[in-house]
Amino acid sequence: MSRALGALVLCAAAGFAHAQTSPDAVAWLRRIYQATEQLSYTGTFVYQQGARTETSRIAHLAGASGGTEKLEVLEGAAREILRTRNEIRCYLPDRHLVKVEPRGDPRAFPAVLPEQVTALSEYYAITMGHTGRIAGFDCQAVELKPLDEMRYGYRLWADTRSGMLLKAQTFKLDGAIVEQFTFAQLDIGTVARDRLRPPRMAKKWRVEQAAVAPADLASMGWRLEPAVPGFHKVVEIRRMLRDSEPVDQVVFSDGLAAVSVFIEPKSKRTEASRDGLSGMGAVNVVTRHIADHLVTVVGETPVVSVQRIADGVSYHKPD
Amino acid sequence: MKAKISAMMDGELEQGELVEPLAALRQDGEALEAWRTYHLISDALRGRTLLATDCGRAVAARLAGEPTLIGPLPGTVAAAVRTRWFVPSAVAASAAAVALVGWMAFAPQQRPGPASMEVAVVQLPQRDVLTPPKPPEVVRHPLTAASADYLLAHQAFSPRNSLQGVAAYIRSVSDESMQGSP
Repeated sequence: MSRALGALVLCAAAGFAHAQTSPDAVAWLRRIYQATEQLSYTGTFVYQQGARTETSRIAHLAGASGGTEKLEVLEGAAREILRTRNEIRCYLPDRHLVKVEPRGDPRAFPAVLPEQVTALSEYYAITMGHTGRIAGFDCQAVELKPLDEMRYGYRLWADTRSGMLLKAQTFKLDGAIVEQFTFAQLDIGTVARDRLRPPRMAKKWRVEQAAVAPADLASMGWRLEPAVPGFHKVVEIRRMLRDSEPVDQVVFSDGLAAVSVFIEPKSKRTEASRDGLSGMGAVNVVTRHIADHLVTVVGETPVVSVQRIADGVSYHKPD
Repeated sequence: MKAKISAMMDGELEQGELVEPLAALRQDGEALEAWRTYHLISDALRGRTLLATDCGRAVAARLAGEPTLIGPLPGTVAAAVRTRWFVPSAVAASAAAVALVGWMAFAPQQRPGPASMEVAVVQLPQRDVLTPPKPPEVVRHPLTAASADYLLAHQAFSPRNSLQGVAAYIRSVSDESMQGSP
């Protein structure tokens, strides 16, 4: 078959032509990132995955280092998440528990710097999408189409005036939608401080603090070789997870999606976990047992890349 | 991967580069489907009257239904000799069966034309003939209650946070992830 024919066949069969990343779309994407950080707002949004929908309330008070933010789940138990400058507090009323996580280093993902966009456009085609009205706002969409099956695509609608993100869709390479966030109602402007208070009841709840320290898994005999193009290691830490033994966590990211590898010694609790795949919406989890350890890989990527990263984990007893 | 399969069909890949696309054809139903589609398009563009249809499955199914013709040799032949003889005979018998079944499958549909029939048989993907491909179906279970801890620990480092703020955390406290099967 001739080269030209090969190219023609490829385009026809792949189902989409490789669109080129456009500078307008990149500028719009950057604007959306900035708006998320700089605007204060309150609103109600719907999270949809599969046949399920869930409604939550959100409030963001802009300020230094991302400001303060609160999420309240409006269905089922009244779970809340409070994100401040340094930490994330997760309030779980059904367990009378507060989980405290350190806030990931914001410098790990500075809001889409030019050199980062260049890297992104190697794996995604960034183009302008449709316009539409969402929650009363006139919106312009930007699309990030994946160029391989290792990652999902994203369609982001933002208010044409402020750049505020009103709707975010995650879709597969073939276009099927995996999950969706949509604002049903949104007020941009001043936000009263008391909207960001922690639940009063929580004072008596147990606090689980995830103490985090740098780690070096290679020196312990672990080898992580993720055979997924574009994914680079961003964090390698030893941390507490629940009240159990310390767990090692390594995070890989392509700049838009991330995959975490958790490694922990086998214990009574982990014995029950079976090897295999589980998931919800865009999140996939692959579990493996290696050398008396439980390896859990959690990613906002398709099964194939989570599986590849899980397959790339091996243990070689250090000398 | 599709690009590699296309390049492989064009004969543009070096020996070492063939490993990956061939492995994909063996394991990945989508890759195999692409391989078939490319051949179908190629045939259509060249105006061949006989299009390369998905006959591999039909042939494999027919083969599976046929009695096994190859049995142990009777008499006093030494085991070593028997083994040596056995291998080529198996290959020859398979090839004969493929040719025969291939001919039977196509005979009613086409006008006499030995050249095009030969092409169709040669184009059968080897794997299809020997074992019918299983659709690669990965079973995804619902999240367990224990995964909620991992999800929360992962979310702190997700780039989605800088795009969506705390909204991205809904996954780690969603009803489904928290109430998952124990």
